[in-house]
Amino acid sequence: MTLSFFDQFSSPMFLGIPLMALAIMLPWIMFPTPSSRWINNRMLTLQNWFINLFTKQLLLPLNTAGHKWALIFASLMIFLISLNMLGLLPYTFTPTTQLSLNMGLAVPLWLATVIIGMRNQPTHSLGHLLPEGTPVPLIPVLIIIETISLFIRPIALGVRLTANLTAGHLLIQLIATAAFVLMPLMPTIALLTTVLLFLLTLLEVAVAMIQAYVFVLLLSLYLQENV
Amino acid sequence: MLSRLVIVSANALKGSSPLGAGLVQVSRCLHASPQSLSPVAPLPEKGGKVRHGIIPEELFQLLYPKTGVTGPYMLGTGLILYMLSKEIYVINHETFAAASIGAVIIYGIKKFGPSVAAFADKLNEDKVAKAQEVKDSAMTSLTQAIEDEKKEQWRVEGRSMLFDAKRNNVAMLLETNYRERIHMVTNEVKKRLDYQVALQDLQRRMAQEHMVNWVEKNVVSSITPQQEKESIAKCITDLKALAKTTQAKVAV
Repeated sequence: MTLSFFDQFSSPMFLGIPLMALAIMLPWIMFPTPSSRWINNRMLTLQNWFINLFTKQLLLPLNTAGHKWALIFASLMIFLISLNMLGLLPYTFTPTTQLSLNMGLAVPLWLATVIIGMRNQPTHSLGHLLPEGTPVPLIPVLIIIETISLFIRPIALGVRLTANLTAGHLLIQLIATAAFVLMPLMPTIALLTTVLLFLLTLLEVAVAMIQAYVFVLLLSLYLQENV
Repeated sequence: MLSRLVIVSANALKGSSPLGAGLVQVSRCLHASPQSLSPVAPLPEKGGKVRHGIIPEELFQLLYPKTGVTGPYMLGTGLILYMLSKEIYVINHETFAAASIGAVIIYGIKKFGPSVAAFADKLNEDKVAKAQEVKDSAMTSLTQAIEDEKKEQWRVEGRSMLFDAKRNNVAMLLETNYRERIHMVTNEVKKRLDYQVALQDLQRRMAQEHMVNWVEKNVVSSITPQQEKESIAKCITDLKALAKTTQAKVAV
């Protein structure tokens, strides 16, 4: 099969059937169901430990009203981290490289935090538009700037995740192509390129985990402001 | 109260109406446990055996009778060469990417696998150790309670001896006190009686002295001077006679 650089990012189709739903649901089958036993096997113990650690860490700065979001944050984190990590395997499609998916996650969640803030404590939420201790002449300009930054948040959330993952995947493909093409011509350079590819892959693994964490962390921050 | 009756009966009748079976199955997707009372089967301690990390050992066992030890390896090599030569799998840049990520995964598992497994085991062991500690401490406290109870029972047996000793003590104290008081009474009475006796003695002595004095006075006053001279002359003649006899004795 011949691959162009676009094939990795095109929505998967098979005989005209879109497989996007399958691609999104795939991580779900990778995780074992928590059982009602007291002592579980290693896989389940580690999964439980990770989810507990992550949820505790994330909900620490939130007050009690924010703890309602615990389930969605934990599941969002598992979702994003598994999609990102699975995307590093060859010939896989990463749904998080699609801007539509990331915006579909970012905009509703961000909007939910804003609406919660505006509805329950409007003065407090609007107060975030003006940082403390600004000189009086700067206030109008700063309010405009803060409003713009508030509305850029969902775009930033979605595009950050998309751009990071797309760029990473594209880089892997390009450097792999370079190594592949250089192999018959200049094997030494090809070897260097392969080393570069190896390092890049390590970086991509880190980026995959970090980007998922940053997404959820920023959402929890926005929630913290508004709840 | 009657609402509970309705709920219970509705639950029991769930499976009996014409749509009964379907109604029962509706909530099945929400069940979290298997809804049976059979004992839970134990989990296997370790996962299935694999060779080279991904290929299950059962494949090798399956092929062993017909193709021996090298069978599965020949199968794998043959499959790979077939796919390459027929260009079912084409080597392209993704192969390099696959090799790269494969190297990362294998390195990660080889290096961190045992420590992660040990960590997971430790988490479970800590859980078990905590429960075990509770059980052990409960057992030690209960055995300690049994020991204490036995000691208390032994103490109860000796209680009557303790009471006897105390009773003896008290009796001795009372006896001593009584004897002291009797002694004191005796002494006091004796003192009073002695006083009376001394008084009587004194009176008699005084009477005696008085009488003796009176007799002496009377006698002395009754001696006339005539009688005095006569008695002195008598004494001198008696003395002379005595002196003569004494001289005679000495000469003899």
